[in-house]
Amino acid sequence: MNIVGVDIGGTFTDLVGCVDGKIVTSKTSTTPADPTRGVAESLTLAHADLPALGEFLHGSTIAINTVLERKGAKTALLTTKGFRDVYAIGRGNRIEAFNLFFHRPKPLVPRHLTFEANERLNAAGEALIPIDLQGVEAIARELGSLGVEAVAVCFLHSYANPAHERAAGEVLRRANPKMFITLSHEILREFREYERTSTTALNAYVGPRVSDYLGTLETYMRAGKFAGGLRMMRSNGGVMSMAQARVQPVSMMESGPVAGMIGAGKLALHLGIARCIGFDMGGTTAKCSLILNGAPAVEEGYVIGDPASGQPMQLPVVDIVEVGTGGGSIAWVDGAGGLHVGPKSAGADPGPACYGKGSLEPVITDADLVLGRVNPHRFLGGGMALDTAAAERAIAAKIGIPLGLPVRECALGIATIADTAMSLAVRAVSVDKGVDPRDTAMIAFGGAGPLHAVAVAREIFIPRVIIPKLPGTFSALGMLMASWRQDFVRTLVGSLDTLDPALAAKIFAELAAEARAQMARDGIAAGGAEFKYFADLRYAGQEHALQIPLRGPDALSGGAAEARAAFHAEHEQRYGQAAAEEKLETVNLRLVLSAARADTIAEDWLAEPWTAEASAPETSRHVYFSDAEKPLKTRILWRPALPAGMTLTGPAVIEEPNSTILIHPGDRVTVTDTGHLVIDIHFPD
Amino acid sequence: MTQARETQPQTHPITVEVVRNAIVAYADEMANALCKAAYNMMIYEVRDYCCGLIDLQGRMISQNRGGLPIFLADLGVAVEDAVARWGLGGFLPGDVLIMNHGETCGQHLNNVVLSCPVFHNGELVAFTANRAHWVDIGGARIGFGSSATTEIFAEGLQMRSLKIYEAGKRNDTLWQIINDNLRFPEAALGDMRAQIASCQLGARRYGELLTRYGRATVEACIARVWDQADAAVRKVVGEIPDGVYSAESFLDNDGRDLETPLKIKVTVRVAGSVMSIDFSEMNPQTNSPINSGRSGGIAGARVAFKALTSPDLDVNEGCFRALEVVLPEGTMLSARPGAALGLWSIALPTVIDTILKALAPALPAKIPAAHKGDMGGCSFYGSTPERGRFLLMNIFGGGWGGRPHEDGEDASVSVCQGDVRNSPVELQEIRYPFIVESHSLRGDSGGAGKHRGGLGVELTYRCLAPCQVNINFERTKLPPWGLAGGGSGGTNYAVIRHADGAPERKVLKGTQIPLKAGDSVAFFTAGGGGYGDPAERARGDLARDVEEGFISSAGKALYTAKAAAGKP
Repeated sequence: MNIVGVDIGGTFTDLVGCVDGKIVTSKTSTTPADPTRGVAESLTLAHADLPALGEFLHGSTIAINTVLERKGAKTALLTTKGFRDVYAIGRGNRIEAFNLFFHRPKPLVPRHLTFEANERLNAAGEALIPIDLQGVEAIARELGSLGVEAVAVCFLHSYANPAHERAAGEVLRRANPKMFITLSHEILREFREYERTSTTALNAYVGPRVSDYLGTLETYMRAGKFAGGLRMMRSNGGVMSMAQARVQPVSMMESGPVAGMIGAGKLALHLGIARCIGFDMGGTTAKCSLILNGAPAVEEGYVIGDPASGQPMQLPVVDIVEVGTGGGSIAWVDGAGGLHVGPKSAGADPGPACYGKGSLEPVITDADLVLGRVNPHRFLGGGMALDTAAAERAIAAKIGIPLGLPVRECALGIATIADTAMSLAVRAVSVDKGVDPRDTAMIAFGGAGPLHAVAVAREIFIPRVIIPKLPGTFSALGMLMASWRQDFVRTLVGSLDTLDPALAAKIFAELAAEARAQMARDGIAAGGAEFKYFADLRYAGQEHALQIPLRGPDALSGGAAEARAAFHAEHEQRYGQAAAEEKLETVNLRLVLSAARADTIAEDWLAEPWTAEASAPETSRHVYFSDAEKPLKTRILWRPALPAGMTLTGPAVIEEPNSTILIHPGDRVTVTDTGHLVIDIHFPD
Repeated sequence: MTQARETQPQTHPITVEVVRNAIVAYADEMANALCKAAYNMMIYEVRDYCCGLIDLQGRMISQNRGGLPIFLADLGVAVEDAVARWGLGGFLPGDVLIMNHGETCGQHLNNVVLSCPVFHNGELVAFTANRAHWVDIGGARIGFGSSATTEIFAEGLQMRSLKIYEAGKRNDTLWQIINDNLRFPEAALGDMRAQIASCQLGARRYGELLTRYGRATVEACIARVWDQADAAVRKVVGEIPDGVYSAESFLDNDGRDLETPLKIKVTVRVAGSVMSIDFSEMNPQTNSPINSGRSGGIAGARVAFKALTSPDLDVNEGCFRALEVVLPEGTMLSARPGAALGLWSIALPTVIDTILKALAPALPAKIPAAHKGDMGGCSFYGSTPERGRFLLMNIFGGGWGGRPHEDGEDASVSVCQGDVRNSPVELQEIRYPFIVESHSLRGDSGGAGKHRGGLGVELTYRCLAPCQVNINFERTKLPPWGLAGGGSGGTNYAVIRHADGAPERKVLKGTQIPLKAGDSVAFFTAGGGGYGDPAERARGDLARDVEEGFISSAGKALYTAKAAAGKP
């Protein structure tokens, strides 16, 4: 079957596909006003014929940009009476503790579009006040007259009993069939009213725009005689149907970055690496994620936008730590003489000083160029010549003069500081889960990843770095390997000792019924998906829980000895302590449903034997590594020409069409028989 | 930058940057390990903790980001006391110290410090330490807000630099004493476990850094990081016009003698690149728990100083070298040994607001109007047959003052509380026998101004079981003030309504007030002061405020030129 994945990023639209047994790629500019055009162009560039395609996978920044740019729908919110301001009050916290002029998250719904329904449930889901549907009818009429496009409904304790939300939803949908209506329990049956309200409001806010875009895209594809399946990449690392994406767009916020980590996981499986860290360094940021047994960690929720004033989103998302150090991150000196890199980025325009578009701000790419690590004539496949003199001037003016240091020392400093910042982030993703970075390998990709990966790994004693095939467009490749995935959750707070096993079984059965209904909607054959059960457990009295895998839906009955043991072990692993004698509580029950792709085209390509191109002449140039005074004469090799089984010892620079790999002195590179590069780092004793 | 650097040639600017990032990352890792494993909401929601690396002289090498702002480089006194007691040679790997001594730490006894010595090549090189608020420490107080005590000995168990572990072996006697003297021992011991693991983690990390770069280099880099912070801070202080600036305000009362206000008087002297904050004329210490030791006064001065001079820099010793704090013994911010300290931090939001007010004439663009002015929260406690003993605590936000360029924020925690979160209503109703009837913004509570003060909140609890409540509101007589012609914010109060028909009561302060099932308590928190003449408020902003219900039609009258002209 022919498949393509298209990843629309802020600057570029990347395509990777497998057509007639061959891998095709393309890169084109994103057209924010009409993203469908970017899709069309990338398909044309890759010579991918719509009627010949069997499946189209897609990731897009449209949902997250709608939030960041505040360009969503006119959205209303319906809450429980007395709780109109839950969304505005939030948690009351100030992340920037010493900032007298702090800003907290601004709701996406203004107060005058926030309405209260007269209804109330208690924590057990029992109705204290039955819902006043006549009142809801009146609100529904008002929403129509106000020109509202989307409505979020979030009632207190609806995670325990969604009956009131359902009733209100029916009234609203009947009265305003064209409005985009989201009921909180439909996307998240978990307690904590502010976070659930925010997630629901986000879905409603982006819903009309994303749904319209997906509709346009689908119409375009079908008009071009595309007869295959359309699937969207979602933040949880899986894919979903187009129909689900149109009602649950909030779950596609982080589609692009996540796909690369899925690809890294598959590569780890192919190479037999149990613990690795995916490292993706692009133009504006670097991202990393811990990958155990081929699966990136998934966390419940994160904040969209600035950590202090962004919007909380509570759905599962691949746990990616991001730092503001990409190839375009600007280096600067503060008033006290401290040298910093990022988080401000020069972007694609004007871009780094070395692009010669007039920017005077030195960025990481400028430093890499001045250090001889990047080839000025081979950038972006030779499509853009880089101006080394401009890079030197920018570094001298902004860093060298204030610090009184020569240009190359500054350049080395910029690279080192960026590498340190990234290494701390990489370390954080491992140690937070109790994994020692020395027991991991790094899989590095993204435009700038292979250039910095070895230095980052060395900093925290990661012994081995792997550079996959196609590192520059690896995220789009990752989409071709993602499973269809659904997450279901239900809050159940109580002591594990007194837990009624029948209640847990009933909840799991309900979750499984929901899961099977979604399978039927998406055409997944019964038996075609894997059901994984989890319980969020904690010591009685704790707040934060750990998500513990269960052997099945009945694992909490009969004393739950296995789950208890797994919890104590996980607590010891994460926090360095456990208390086997203490009582445990359940917080949430979860079901994760996944259906692997029927084909393994992309994985097969990862594992395909490597055939080198005709050998290319090896050259050399001076490259600066750890000493800004003394460059090393360094071999320059062309990756497509390196044969399987070849080994070499650094220093070396390995260049390929969309990336550059820097091998430090003493490190040893092997080209695997499937064409990936394995770099074993040499640590002095 | 001092000349000392010449003797420490290892401080290459790049290595300095590596060390700077690393030491803060370690403190953050310690905080994460503590917060995620903690057993009480004062840690996992209120973030009433701090974690850090301390050198052998008690100086703060680094501190975590996101902890409680008033814990500003104040772990050092605990480490100094440990060193004084045991001697530098008196520690072994595997030792863990516990400390909450009131006289030394100057804070309420719930704030318990755990620390571990760090060894490198067999040599003692530093300490890792954290302070966290235990939910109970025994004594006469339950939850927060009690005004019942007049001396420290009624406030719970004191532990002064004791070894809870010696060379890895637990001191079971001390463990038993803690277990038997606290109301919620499982929570305290769980928190202590988390604190110890956090210290041990930090010690491992710092040891790795020393192994990587060598002790001399790391310590030289740390000195350089401090110097850089100091230089950045002095630059900002240098831009403040030299002069003597003072301001005065007052707290309502000490909660026992309800008639006598407590004076907060500060004098700020700016001379060149040094700022001195003088508390000599502060109210004398009280016969109530509204007292702190010196660390309270220093914390108040440091929060204000940091917010003005280096809000973005990580906290370390260097941030405060340009600050002198004048604090004679015997004021309510420097109480003598034996004083009750239960409400040690209550005065601090007002102290900080008053320092800012003093400097407003010198820094007109950098000072907002006064904020809600207290650290408000509630404690309900009791026991039910099904749940046993319970203690519900929550923290309230309120309005922040209007700013020289924009409105103040609504419903936010005080200047003394940073990443402190209120407790979700759904969580409270799952855990405790209460129904929350409303949680909303309090219209008209923001002080009028060109830039309006932020709004306070209204939060109403109805009891499902008999219980008791502590109410401890402050700044009700001196409302959050406006600046540059702005009006005051609405003040804090609570209303108790009885199910049996007894008349409702407005309450500002009260300890162990009994409640029956069906009774309700509504808390109203203060709004921020306004900034600038209300008549100058943009008409579009005013219309929006009315449309959104932030200002009522009655409240709108304050914004007419006539009403504003009549104001002092």
